Amino acid sequence: MSVKDQITAPAPPRRHPWRERLLENWRVFHRNPLGRVGLILLAIFAIMAALSVAPPLIDPMYHPMTGVDPEVMHSSPPSWRHWLGTDFMGRDILSQLLAGTRVAFMVGVSAAFMSIVLGVSVGMVSGYLGGWTDIILMRLSEIIMVMPTLLVVLMLAALFGKLGIWTIVLMIAFFRWPGVARVIRAQTLSLKGRPFIDAARVAGASHARIVFRHIMPNVLPLAFLYMTFRVTAAIIIEAALAFLGFGDPGTVSWGMMLQWVWKTGHMFQAPWWLLPPGLCISLLTLSFYMLGRAMDEVLDPRLRDQSH
Amino acid sequence: MTRSPVWRLAIILPLLTILLALTQIRPGAAADWDQGVLRVGVLEEPKSLNPWLAGDSWSSHVQALLYQPLYLREPAELKPAPWLAAEPPVFDPQALTYTVRLRPAHWSDGSPLTAADVVFTAELIQALKVPRFASLFAALKRVEALDQHTVRYKLSRPDASFAARALGAPVLARKQWQPVLEQCRMTQRPLASLLQYKLEAPLSNGPFVLAEWRKGVYIYLKRNPHFFGQGLTIAGRRLGPEISGVVFKVYGTSDAAVLALRKGTIDYYWNNIQPGYLRDLTRDPAVRLVHSQKSALYFLGFNLRRHPTGQAAFRRAVAMLIDKQFVIKRVLQGSGEVMSSLLPAGNRLYHLDQTPDYDQPLTRRQRIEKAVAILSAAGYAWDQPPAWEGDRLRPGRGLKDPEGKPLRELGILTPPADYDPQRAMVGVMAQEWLGQVGIPAFARPMAFGAMLEQVKSRHDFDMFVLGYGNLPLDPGWLGAFFLGANDKPRGWNMSGYHSPEFDSLANQAGRAMDPDERRPLVLEMQRVLMKDAPFLPLYNPTLTEGLREDRFSGWVEMVGGVGNLWSFCELTPRAGRARP
Amino acid sequence: MTRYVINRLVQIVIILFMILTILFVLFRLAPGDPVARMVDPNMTPEDAARLIAQLGLDLPIWRQYLAYLGNCLTGNFGHSFHYGLPVLEIIGQRLPNTILLFSTGVLLSAIAGIAWGKLAAWNKGKATDLWLTVASLITHTLFLPWLALLLIWVFGYKLDWFPINGMISDEVWLDPDSGVLMKAWDVAYHMILPLGTLFIMHFGSYLLVMRSSMLETLKEDYIVTARAKGLTEKAIRNHHAAPNAWLPVVTSVGLSLAFSINGGALTETVFSWPGIGRELVFAVSQNDYPLAQASFLLVASVVLFSNLVVDVLYAYLDPRIRY
Repeated sequence: MSVKDQITAPAPPRRHPWRERLLENWRVFHRNPLGRVGLILLAIFAIMAALSVAPPLIDPMYHPMTGVDPEVMHSSPPSWRHWLGTDFMGRDILSQLLAGTRVAFMVGVSAAFMSIVLGVSVGMVSGYLGGWTDIILMRLSEIIMVMPTLLVVLMLAALFGKLGIWTIVLMIAFFRWPGVARVIRAQTLSLKGRPFIDAARVAGASHARIVFRHIMPNVLPLAFLYMTFRVTAAIIIEAALAFLGFGDPGTVSWGMMLQWVWKTGHMFQAPWWLLPPGLCISLLTLSFYMLGRAMDEVLDPRLRDQSH
Repeated sequence: MTRSPVWRLAIILPLLTILLALTQIRPGAAADWDQGVLRVGVLEEPKSLNPWLAGDSWSSHVQALLYQPLYLREPAELKPAPWLAAEPPVFDPQALTYTVRLRPAHWSDGSPLTAADVVFTAELIQALKVPRFASLFAALKRVEALDQHTVRYKLSRPDASFAARALGAPVLARKQWQPVLEQCRMTQRPLASLLQYKLEAPLSNGPFVLAEWRKGVYIYLKRNPHFFGQGLTIAGRRLGPEISGVVFKVYGTSDAAVLALRKGTIDYYWNNIQPGYLRDLTRDPAVRLVHSQKSALYFLGFNLRRHPTGQAAFRRAVAMLIDKQFVIKRVLQGSGEVMSSLLPAGNRLYHLDQTPDYDQPLTRRQRIEKAVAILSAAGYAWDQPPAWEGDRLRPGRGLKDPEGKPLRELGILTPPADYDPQRAMVGVMAQEWLGQVGIPAFARPMAFGAMLEQVKSRHDFDMFVLGYGNLPLDPGWLGAFFLGANDKPRGWNMSGYHSPEFDSLANQAGRAMDPDERRPLVLEMQRVLMKDAPFLPLYNPTLTEGLREDRFSGWVEMVGGVGNLWSFCELTPRAGRARP
Repeated sequence: MTRYVINRLVQIVIILFMILTILFVLFRLAPGDPVARMVDPNMTPEDAARLIAQLGLDLPIWRQYLAYLGNCLTGNFGHSFHYGLPVLEIIGQRLPNTILLFSTGVLLSAIAGIAWGKLAAWNKGKATDLWLTVASLITHTLFLPWLALLLIWVFGYKLDWFPINGMISDEVWLDPDSGVLMKAWDVAYHMILPLGTLFIMHFGSYLLVMRSSMLETLKEDYIVTARAKGLTEKAIRNHHAAPNAWLPVVTSVGLSLAFSINGGALTETVFSWPGIGRELVFAVSQNDYPLAQASFLLVASVVLFSNLVVDVLYAYLDPRIRY
């Protein structure tokens, strides 16, 4: 709206303040090209994940893990039967790709969610209580944060031999919470001094109530933002683990697909197999990242570009 | 950093061009030093050249060229030919002794190889119980040198495998290892010290000697001028070596090695070539593909300690359902043979040549019908047995065991698909085939180490698909795998098979020093095992190797591949071909 | 300042000690038999048991732990199960290779990232900025192993410009005639693709940080002053804005170190570059406890020390910070 319009337009009717804020945020988000592209990409992948249940229903030979095509038992280029060709065992690559989308979302979102839960709790507790709890928790988070997650998870992966997909998710979540915790802690510290907290304390609210009822809602938007970054990290780590051969052998993930194409010697022979999984990993990561950057702008008004 | 974009381009472009130009200079263009040197590509370098420590295949490849045994199997009949020994061992059945006379031979530093070396090797193995060899010499009571060139082994009990296994173990140099042994004896853990001893310049009694080992990149072996076999004719074959040396190039991945083979940077890739590469390689005129039999066994194992896999009828039904011809044709892409017995056909002396009914060519329909018949006769029942509607099969549902309880989920453990796609695929197919009859089986790919742990140590499995790529031709291991006594954690009896009939046969066979007496016993052992089926042998894959013949000729084909000692001793450089 | 550094050093030692202990506990708890891989059909269970005893794996846990600690303190990290050689020796052989590849990669990415970040910030809103930012975003989120495989496929296989893996060619190093220069060039030749991978992956983050940092700095008052004083744009950019914009990049290098190390390990594995990262992955897959432990410890120490260095550097560069 131009300046003239803003002056002459009637004042909008009063709505719930948070809904208004949400709409405003959405407008900012939507204006940002990063956010738009990110959202579109994400939507595409979401559709892919939803579609992943379809191929085995069409014909059992399209099952990503156990699909046995009676006519094709080796790696073949794209054809009408198999739109992206087949892997070395004759399994359909497109259905593997779709199944991998589902796994990527599941791993990414679960790991991110768990690390957020952990990170927010630790951050709030640490910021609110202060003292020794704070020091110990922050030292702990420093140590964990500084470790190269992939290598640590790799060590754990090898130690425990067989890794289920959920174990991997848990491990990733366990090593990614520190980043969130520190930010949440900073926010908590700044909130701690606010008058409404004092008011609550005077009114006799317990610590737990203060933390969860008053601080948490204000801290959540930031947490949500950081969740998008955790998702990218989780997806990449799971893919890297699978690529190196430490993933869950019973799950088809994009990283696993890359491992198969690499280890079975089809790297040079089968571009239809080599290109899609890596492309998907990169694009999904990109979309979450762009989403994150766009939301960054939403949450931090200073980053909003005023000269649009 | 303060230059404008134009400036920047002015610097980057020339740099890039120079860079590209430089990449066209292939480092290491034709040189003189490597005329007559065979270049072999390997996937991994040896763990170690310390013979006491390393027995894995990559280490053995190189060690086989350095450390020689008394007897070596020759390619034609696979019979042990006198190698370091001058003639076959003389066996005295009364005294239980083997007397071996040695050829004149020398170590790579010129010192003579005598009976003392042979005695020393055997004594060290026994004294420290070196894990790699200890069981081979378990029956040895005493070994002595009768003179400089004669050794006598005295056994404490009859051991049918002794001649083939113990006398096929390498002979090491007393001169080199005696001082090491003494050092190790002074430590708290002599065996560990011996295994961890860093071997710098191994004394070799073989056709080659170590010249240089650059870790992770290459191993360069030069011809050993003191090789005892130079110019000799053994087992009807004239030996060299005629090549001046061997370079083992380490390629981390198969891609790199196959590429090198095609480009001509190596003459031979010492590994099985996966089907993914075969299409391109068959079309390449410069590369020759050699197919060899292996002494291997890939099988489906059952856990006899559990139900229903403990029931013979159940196992026979499973055997009926598994279409091995299909596996060979589709999973192995034709590159293998069906195994109907636990010993491969290549093992001509001991292989049991019979085809059980389930290995006959049968259609899917016939297989299902027969399997249903077997299960029904044993008391299994379905809520809804498998039925045919025209051409489509309606899978069986609600399968119950003879006691009326529904079958629980059965796991088929396999290695992961990247480790061995074939075994993983077999698991998947078995799942499908068993499911058609209503048996709730599920293929479970597992990390290999974890799988071994579960199968061998904890015996926590229903079925598994494993394989041994390199079984000794001597059938002594058959006993190890199925003797009731070996059913313990980490023991080799993974299935939990207990059969007094088999035990007595196996023990007898283990004591049968006369091959004519032993052979029928081993055949009978196989018959019993095939009847009880604790293992279902599946296939024996064909080994496909790639080599070039533009520089060298004279490769010797043999069970186990072209990379054998005879090849290395018989290869000759083709005249007048410089390096491409 | 010194007190701060000493404080941090003490912390690092404590952290390393904790890591050592955790590693020890985890390795002992883990299922997966280290001997299982070393056993072949010849070995009876008794032989296997003997091997375990020889390797000291059958002593009571607390004794193993004490022996372990004592050894680590004296620098004896044991013998690799797989190679039979002292772990320190293996690590010693691999470490220089990693340092070579990794530091060159980080250095090149940082220099390019900073230079281009400055460029992007200066040309904000124009085409240059757009292309650079888009390029950074895209390359930053690529999947490293996939990028590596692609580069190998295109440049190694299809175009045959570079070797597809390894660090050196035996032809060069075996040839008694080749000189030092030839050998050095051989290594560099092999390093181009892995370096390219690392560079492509990492320059983006430095670029974006530098760019936003520059933009922040350019809003500062002293820039306005400088402009009012009549200085040229170029002078303002290079002598006033850039030096201050550097600082967040320095921290960013430190923070992204863990990320880069992950990337380094993956790169080494795909290119079969004989470094620590690859050795760690290999040791872990072989259940080679001593080697895996020591490699990981090394990586952890590097990370901790680099963070310390970065913090100190930051404090040194930013006059506002005083400990």
